[in-house]
Amino acid sequence: MGSPQVAMLSRHADSAYWIGRYVERSEATARMIDVHYHFGLESGEVAKALRWSSILAISGLEKEFAELYDKEDEASILQFFAFDERNPSSIKSCIRSARENARSIRDQISSEMFECANRTYLAYGPWNLERVLAESPFEFFQFVKDRTLLFQGIMNRTLMMGPTRDFVDCGRFLERADQTARILDVKYFDLLPHYSGEGVISDSEPISVGGPIDIHGWTAVLKSVGAYEAFCKSYSEGVTPKRVAEFLILSRQFPASVRHGALRVQSCLDRISNRSDSDKLKSAQIETEKLLLMLNSKNANDIIREGLHEYLEEIGERFELVGEAVYRDFLEY
Amino acid sequence: MKPSHTHVLDGLFAKYQTEGFYDELFEDLEKPHGHCSKLVNALDRLTPEDFRGRCSLADLTLVNQGITFTVYGNEQGIEKPFPVDLVPRVVQASDWAHVEKGLKQRVRALNLFLHDVYHEEKILRDGRIPRDLIVNAPNYRRSFKDADVPGNVYVHICGTDLIRDHDGTYRVLEDNCRTPSGVSYMLENRLLMMRVFPSLFREQRVCPIDAYPNLLLKKLRQLAPGDPTVVLLTPGIFNSAYFEHSFLAMQMGIQLVEGRDLFVEKNIVFMKTTRGPKRVDVIYRRVDDDFLDPLVFRGDSVLGVPGLVNAYRAGTVALANGIGTGVADDKSVYPYVPEMIRYYLGEEPVLEQVETFVGWKPKELEYILDHAHELVIKCANESGGYGMLMGPQASKTEVADFLVQVRANPRNYIAQPLISLSRSPCFLGDHFEGRHVDLRPYILSGPDGEIDIVPGGLTRVALRKGSYVVNSSQGGGSKDTWVLHK
Repeated sequence: MGSPQVAMLSRHADSAYWIGRYVERSEATARMIDVHYHFGLESGEVAKALRWSSILAISGLEKEFAELYDKEDEASILQFFAFDERNPSSIKSCIRSARENARSIRDQISSEMFECANRTYLAYGPWNLERVLAESPFEFFQFVKDRTLLFQGIMNRTLMMGPTRDFVDCGRFLERADQTARILDVKYFDLLPHYSGEGVISDSEPISVGGPIDIHGWTAVLKSVGAYEAFCKSYSEGVTPKRVAEFLILSRQFPASVRHGALRVQSCLDRISNRSDSDKLKSAQIETEKLLLMLNSKNANDIIREGLHEYLEEIGERFELVGEAVYRDFLEY
Repeated sequence: MKPSHTHVLDGLFAKYQTEGFYDELFEDLEKPHGHCSKLVNALDRLTPEDFRGRCSLADLTLVNQGITFTVYGNEQGIEKPFPVDLVPRVVQASDWAHVEKGLKQRVRALNLFLHDVYHEEKILRDGRIPRDLIVNAPNYRRSFKDADVPGNVYVHICGTDLIRDHDGTYRVLEDNCRTPSGVSYMLENRLLMMRVFPSLFREQRVCPIDAYPNLLLKKLRQLAPGDPTVVLLTPGIFNSAYFEHSFLAMQMGIQLVEGRDLFVEKNIVFMKTTRGPKRVDVIYRRVDDDFLDPLVFRGDSVLGVPGLVNAYRAGTVALANGIGTGVADDKSVYPYVPEMIRYYLGEEPVLEQVETFVGWKPKELEYILDHAHELVIKCANESGGYGMLMGPQASKTEVADFLVQVRANPRNYIAQPLISLSRSPCFLGDHFEGRHVDLRPYILSGPDGEIDIVPGGLTRVALRKGSYVVNSSQGGGSKDTWVLHK
């Protein structure tokens, strides 16, 4: 038996980390736009609540978008998020960057992983906005989700447990948990007036909330992070804003919840820095602990009473601190 | 040999012409070589549709796997798949035995020569090779005089280009003693053929070649004691051979590093890892001498590692290939390789060379200038098919223009008669046609004196009709090379 690999080149780790982030970001973006597109079809009312511009708010790219486009309409938003290579977070840019990073460390990952990233990149080329709208947006989003999930599956099956994988996962879960927090933050704001009318949620929620449109809207939020079915299994009482927030922030079991993401990041960092061997915690581990402390010290009622937006904003800042510490500890060279 | 049953070739080979060239598969128009008859019959029976289908599968595989090379001077679509022709080139066991023996002898002599010119200079003092020619060669590294290298091996990996002339004699065209490339295509072509043409292998006894990465790693590990850390140094993802670098690093399970991943402290080379600096003992470098260390060679190089050369001289890190090996594959030195073999080994060369006229000898220069239209004139230190003139195929102006450069710097040019390279059938849409081929085996030398060559090499093919230039940068492709078992 060979000895397990513990150290890796910082440059390789950097690429692995970004593969995780880019693959996750392309999947998350596809899910989010998919849900917006398809929910908007049914009801004009919902379409208003699920305004296209909220996708901009979630991504934090309002300024970049405004510099490039005149209108915040469906076609512009789709173009900006799916195909515009001037947007480094567009699906196209993410797929290209994931493939470039995979190419630069193709000796570190499995051949099948590179081949998958490469084939995805090649297959994405022929797609454009006209084709998506003319043929089938559903098929397009499905294609992106399938390819990104295939990549993750291939990694799970073929890549050795070790630092390369831990760095990919670290990037992946940071990105995913962060995305979930952003979606919830923006959507909560969008949907709030529809729910209570006065912008305040009481501790004891009624069993049935709002009208069909509210339920429809909250269902969309869940679906945009792929959480709807998992939510239904966990809450037989039905959809309410508090339950959605609780599920997306605090669930330990749901793979896209903020807490699940933070726990996964923690275990990656522990393995990378070999916690058992050393009493000295890396700063990335400390920052993750602080994030988890925040998640462990409040329940959903407290969070909502004290202000969900403020809470999620702090979560977002904590994620940023973790990301910066990862750079400081492992990737800067 | 028992005559093979006479199968009438009325399929894909029905109109095949050897056109007077030595053919790798055919003895003459009607008859394949004995060792090729099964293969030829099997190929002949395929339909064009079937063959095209397999070509598509092969192309798709190459594109999907990103098995590409980079074309310089082309801003768009810089990664291209290296074209592969699916008709294998076959080498019979007895021919391979001869080639293998000759290559081992040759590389042994080249390594002895390098050790000599960087130490005692016996061969120069004895007047067997002119001293001027060596010490003024552009790739002679004066600063490496008297530097010792592990096991006195300078060229650990040598890629020697062989051609076959009109009667099938194998001749050495040139040696590549610096950073020869192409071995990944040799290995990938075999995998590709097994995937798209499994049936062809069933009736043949083809020698496996997949031991190459293992043998290479073994040689590299021998360059330092204990359990050394071996890395492959690449110029980066924009280098034309980046695919090969990552492929070999992956196959050997070693780190693929760039210059910026390494640093030198107190003459020790380290790589920057997630757990701090880690010492590096052996570097399989795919970066040319000039770019290796900005403190010693080109100061503008961003690919290299400051201080690496000093560490190498101090013996704390081993490099493969060594520094200064370019003096052994200089095309003006090439005519002296048979002399090296006689001088160092006391043997006659096993492999023939190609008659060569060198520009630095006034008489030969005169001959080159007078007979340019019959000769292939090459720049002594260029590779990749750049800086050469194919006299018989060039226009009068092209010849005249080229000769201006030759006159300006005769030392830099050599000339050879145009050898009518052997041909091998290639598939062209719906039939086979002959195309010129060469063969580059990869010779691995270890510090213990052992030399290993996996049976075969990269067969490069000039895909353009009538072309003699096989380089990938000049419209060349490749084929799987089958060395048959005895």
